[in-house]
Amino acid sequence: MLQIKNLKKHFEDYLATDDISFEAKEGEFVTLLGPSGCGKTTLLKMIGGFHKPDSGEIWINNERVDHLRPENRSTAMCFQSYALFPHLSVSHNICFGLAQKKLAANLQKDYLAEALLQVGLVPHKDKLPSQLSGGQQQRVALARAMVMRPDVILFDEPLSNLDAKLRESVRFEIKSLQKKHKLTTVYVTHDQAEALAMSDKIIVLNAGRIEQEGSPESIYYRPKNRFVADFIGAANIHKAKVTKLEQAHHYQVSCELGDLIVESEEPPVSDYVYICWRPESAYRAQGEVENTFNIKVENLAFLGNVTDLFGRTLAMNDGESVRIQLDKLLHTQVGKSESFVIPKNAIRFLEEVDE
Amino acid sequence: MKLWLLLLPGLGSIVFLMGSALYTIMIQSVGLHTELGASLDYWSDTLSDPILFRSIEYSLRTSVLGSLGAVILAYPIAMWLRKPIPGKTAIIGLLRAPMFVPGLVAAFLLINVISFHGILNESLLALGVIDKPLRITNDKFGWSVVMLQVWKNTPFALILLSSSINSIRSDVLDASADLGASAWANFSQVVFPLTIPALQAALILIFIGALGDFAFASIAGSRNVYSLSVLMHYTATAYYEWEKAAVIGLVIMVLSGLSAILITLMTRPFANRTRPVISASFLERSHEK
Amino acid sequence: MKNNNKLILIISLSFFALVNFIWLVVPFFMAVLWSLVDPSHPWSFPDIFPRVLSFNRWIEVWQTTSLPEAMFNSYSLAPAVALLTVTLAAPTAYAFGRLEFRGKQVAELITLLPMVMPTMILAIFFSSLLLDLGFSEPYFSIVVAHTVLALPYAIRIMSAGFKAVPQDVIDACADMGASRITTFRHAFLPMLKPSILASLIFCLVISIEEFNMSYVLGAPDFITVPTILYSFLGYSFVRPDAAVVSLFLVIPNVILMLVIERLLKGNYLSQSTGKA
Repeated sequence: MLQIKNLKKHFEDYLATDDISFEAKEGEFVTLLGPSGCGKTTLLKMIGGFHKPDSGEIWINNERVDHLRPENRSTAMCFQSYALFPHLSVSHNICFGLAQKKLAANLQKDYLAEALLQVGLVPHKDKLPSQLSGGQQQRVALARAMVMRPDVILFDEPLSNLDAKLRESVRFEIKSLQKKHKLTTVYVTHDQAEALAMSDKIIVLNAGRIEQEGSPESIYYRPKNRFVADFIGAANIHKAKVTKLEQAHHYQVSCELGDLIVESEEPPVSDYVYICWRPESAYRAQGEVENTFNIKVENLAFLGNVTDLFGRTLAMNDGESVRIQLDKLLHTQVGKSESFVIPKNAIRFLEEVDE
Repeated sequence: MKLWLLLLPGLGSIVFLMGSALYTIMIQSVGLHTELGASLDYWSDTLSDPILFRSIEYSLRTSVLGSLGAVILAYPIAMWLRKPIPGKTAIIGLLRAPMFVPGLVAAFLLINVISFHGILNESLLALGVIDKPLRITNDKFGWSVVMLQVWKNTPFALILLSSSINSIRSDVLDASADLGASAWANFSQVVFPLTIPALQAALILIFIGALGDFAFASIAGSRNVYSLSVLMHYTATAYYEWEKAAVIGLVIMVLSGLSAILITLMTRPFANRTRPVISASFLERSHEK
Repeated sequence: MKNNNKLILIISLSFFALVNFIWLVVPFFMAVLWSLVDPSHPWSFPDIFPRVLSFNRWIEVWQTTSLPEAMFNSYSLAPAVALLTVTLAAPTAYAFGRLEFRGKQVAELITLLPMVMPTMILAIFFSSLLLDLGFSEPYFSIVVAHTVLALPYAIRIMSAGFKAVPQDVIDACADMGASRITTFRHAFLPMLKPSILASLIFCLVISIEEFNMSYVLGAPDFITVPTILYSFLGYSFVRPDAAVVSLFLVIPNVILMLVIERLLKGNYLSQSTGKA
């Protein structure tokens, strides 16, 4: 189990992480997600022991470790660059950590054999890293970290140097090995698809602070603010004036799209807030239905599984841009006006408009 | 194309002068230029001379110690320079300073320091470490020459090793710490193997330079044993035995070549580790388990 | 922990300062001190410090020894060597820097030979060759010998300079219809200037401090600063005189090397050996 308490770190003049706390339970897969420069790698490196926090505490299995050097922490890291030892064969790379632990030779061999079989590197066991492809190198890095049976395993954007196809297969591999060995995992990425697919818990970071923390579903469907809504998936965001309705959990909002009904268990933080909805939650209006709105089609892109539509609201002053994704082919043309519906439970309240 | 025209002035001059000197040395070592004609007598004469072997021993000893000393000193400094240090440029400048000092001046500086009434002896006397001055200039073993070689060549070793150490990705060193390597394990199992090519270059270049050294040996070296270059010089210019001198020259070159090969062979095994840890059959067995 | 790091840094820095003090400052201080010993008040045991310090020794050495002649020789050799070397090196450096051809690596290796070949061997057998040819003009033979010693460095530094000129700048020049000479002046020259200058200075330094060749080829009459220092260190050992000549040799050297450092921003060694 990993506990991070009030971790602070600044470099020269900028704050890398500002008072961050979170927890990763035994066997939990936690992803630190955020744009570059949000402090996620710094955070990971503090857990690994490569950076010293200015203040705060790091606990692994109820032992405080933030004063320990990397070699004395039970963490193992998969580096973005893989950081394989270029002069050691695959086998020696994997055994490096075991040898440092002074593990008996026959145990080392058993561990090595298991690791090689698991990541499918048996035919390459005596090759140097330079003789391997990127995906194979990634697997060596994975095996080298996994074989240590660390209390916490750390991943620093491990897939960013792989091409798209390979990325998916290695993603599954990491996830299944993680599940199998019940490894407590902290995974850093800027790729929201990766985060959604793999994590038990996502922590969205921005400018050294936690924006939101939760399961992939809750992060996606219940973003707390514009940053999270916009960073994970695509989102349409509007300013809205809110009025409470009689019916429980029902509100009326008036925004660029007109007057809409919102059903939300969480009440808005004020009566003037941002609202958001996902492009794929809207559908084409047939007949007079609640929450219908009109837009002028500005751009259409057929992407195969979906059709991406960019439109503009019909308001006086140029209107706002709206994005809609439809899973059916849409017979319309640029310049035409079309009506769509947003289900009332697909609209989320975000933070207060602050003007 | 006109490629050869481009190469001629630079490469041509080098090849021409080196070639003619090599030609002369070869011809003279077998006496082809004399009226007597070719003969291996000069070889057998020179090679049976115990003075030559004393010189070989002396030169090899000072070169081995000199090149090893320079490299051993350079490693920790290069490791230290990887860290962020205030005023690093100035420090590097100071470290390089001995390279800019001509060899003769270096020899003079050292003699000054270690002479009978030099500052070293005086300080040791003042500190009560010794009670009469040590005679360490022109010692028989060649320590003063070794010291000079180390002094003059450490910056060179440092430049080669430093750039090699600095080119190791910090991720790789982080990974080794992450996997539990102590500072020493990190150096001996990661840094050292990764710097073998630079180490080879440094050792070979310093060693060959030291093996052919004339100035240090003739100023600070032993008065009884000559270094190979000094011996060759005396043989040629004091006794006019050009043929014997040619043999000695060739001996120096052969020794240089051999030591370069030896250094390469001795250090190569440290560079990579690809010896199989487990066999295919072991893997099969563990697969069945 | 933070303070701990700072402490380690301070300790290592002061250790460095101490070692450097012994390694560099003390030897040079002693040399300077010896050169300032007044000729009429010799510094001898048990004096810890010279009784009188003056520049008289410098004046005396200059007036009574053949140092002026040696200086004249050294400083007339060096520019000739520098010019000749850079002229000879330029075409070869161009070929190494900008052309691809078969056997390039071998050719590059051969240019490094003078760096590894013991100069005493070269000196003795070059002189023997000249003797056989009946040629005895020390100035000229030393210029040739120094040039060969300096060529590897000049070729290395300048081929790195040629390599650094971006192809698109050359293409752009040619594209705008510039003649070859204009292309050279506008595309190559500005980028090459530092490496040409550095090569020139490097050659000066090599020639000024070179001893073996000058000693063997110049013997017995033609003296340079290093050979006169050698004689002061050897059979006519006068410590204060040697100190003065040492400083005469080392001071211009250090200044010139500092200039090179500036020009090549500290990369000259990696450029000149290609190993780093």
